[in-house]
Amino acid sequence: MDNTTYVALSLARAMQRDLDVTANNIANANTAGFKAERIIFSSYLHPDIGQDVGEGTNFVVDQGSYLDKTQGAMTRTDNPLDVAVKGDAFLSYRTPDGQVAYGRDGQLSLDRDGYLVTLSGARVLDDGGADISIPPGAGNIKIGVDGTIASDETGLLGKIGMFDLPDVQSYLRIGNSMLVPPEGRESLARPAVASELQQGSIELSNVAPISEVTRLMMIQKAYDRAVKMMTNEDDLRKDFLRRLGTA
Amino acid sequence: MKALGIAATGMMAQQTNVDVISNNIANASTTGFKSARASFQDLLYENLAREGAPTSDQGTYLPVGIDVGLGVRTAGTVRLNAQGGLAQTENQTDIAIEGRGYFVVNHPDGNTVYTRDGSFRLNAEGQIVTQQGYEVNPGVVVPEDTTRVEIGETGIVSAYIGSEPVPVELGQLTLATFINDAGMRPLGNNLLAATVASGDATLNNPGDPAVGILRQGYLESSNVNIIQQITDLIAAQRAYEMNSKSIETADQMMSTANQIR
Repeated sequence: MDNTTYVALSLARAMQRDLDVTANNIANANTAGFKAERIIFSSYLHPDIGQDVGEGTNFVVDQGSYLDKTQGAMTRTDNPLDVAVKGDAFLSYRTPDGQVAYGRDGQLSLDRDGYLVTLSGARVLDDGGADISIPPGAGNIKIGVDGTIASDETGLLGKIGMFDLPDVQSYLRIGNSMLVPPEGRESLARPAVASELQQGSIELSNVAPISEVTRLMMIQKAYDRAVKMMTNEDDLRKDFLRRLGTA
Repeated sequence: MKALGIAATGMMAQQTNVDVISNNIANASTTGFKSARASFQDLLYENLAREGAPTSDQGTYLPVGIDVGLGVRTAGTVRLNAQGGLAQTENQTDIAIEGRGYFVVNHPDGNTVYTRDGSFRLNAEGQIVTQQGYEVNPGVVVPEDTTRVEIGETGIVSAYIGSEPVPVELGQLTLATFINDAGMRPLGNNLLAATVASGDATLNNPGDPAVGILRQGYLESSNVNIIQQITDLIAAQRAYEMNSKSIETADQMMSTANQIR
């Protein structure tokens, strides 16, 4: 079996996957509350068979991808309905199709019925999983570090729920900065302990431009290397055939 | 290779970002202008391996899947409704709103529109109108021989007529408030229209609870923070460059792949 070509091919394919993920991170460098995605590669050991038993052959496989949970930088907007989460907690939303999702996007707005929603129209949920509505006469809204919403005119209005998600790495990304628990498994969400909400700020994307661009360069070099390896193998084979022919 | 398309969505998003920022900068001296911010959201993800898929018949499952995102989209532009500074003009029909609320304007096409720009004038009939000549609701008519118009914090318009020492009350300006100010649609000319997203207007008198008060002889400046806009512009340009770098990398990798013999 011609292993060299296949090993190189597995590297080239892995680098293409990595490029897609990196391009997505860069495209979302200005998306509020966005968390970068990283790919985990691992080696797949192919056991040798027959007489050539040795070290075995390692192929590259993309094992999975994970969420980089680093805190993004905060920026002030002075918009009363912008909130940024400081810490590991996630906000929870009800998507228009009724699913409960989690995310860190705190650019909130009100819909026509006075419910607190994200820009994609998903309702923000309180600590008990209920929708939050703001009455028309509420005036200046103040949101406390624990998520409590109050106004001078109408008093206490609700509390934005913050949850710690110990199992967040297994969640599915569904776009709109949202994550949902995998099908058929209950979320392990529990009330957040060490996180704070900051009103009038948004959390910027945690994509680090320098490291992403460096990654692009590394990906390209690794890809070139893989292709080079294939070409070399091809040259060797050609040489081998030529010599066989003249022998 | 999806990277090409992904980076293209990123470049388009940054173009929108630059458009919004340049409009803010262009309107830095527009009375009552509220700066906008383009906000982005990530697009759908392709789940190449599903989280939680079984890996054996012993009940083990994949702890993480492979999610490859497909780029970014502009989710909307959000107006920042922070108060602009008040600039003194000494003009007696210049009115600034301090706090929430919009002046109600009757558009000639029959619709009701709203504005924060209080640089009003009197027309030939003595009516209080906007700079475009649209009537400010409710139509207050200032009689001839008026020496001075007084507009109070609560919107009561009164006039000193001739040599009368006691002013005559002419009417009261109303302010409209909305549940979701950010959902109003800008029409240009400093006018905004109500939409389904903003909810219907609630008419109030200035000075009511949670409604702003009026300041005669002042105009509300735009709330554009120029320094912030310039830094955002730099960031947008760099983000655009980075996306083009992704395209370049994808392009070079494809050209490398073409060289495989």
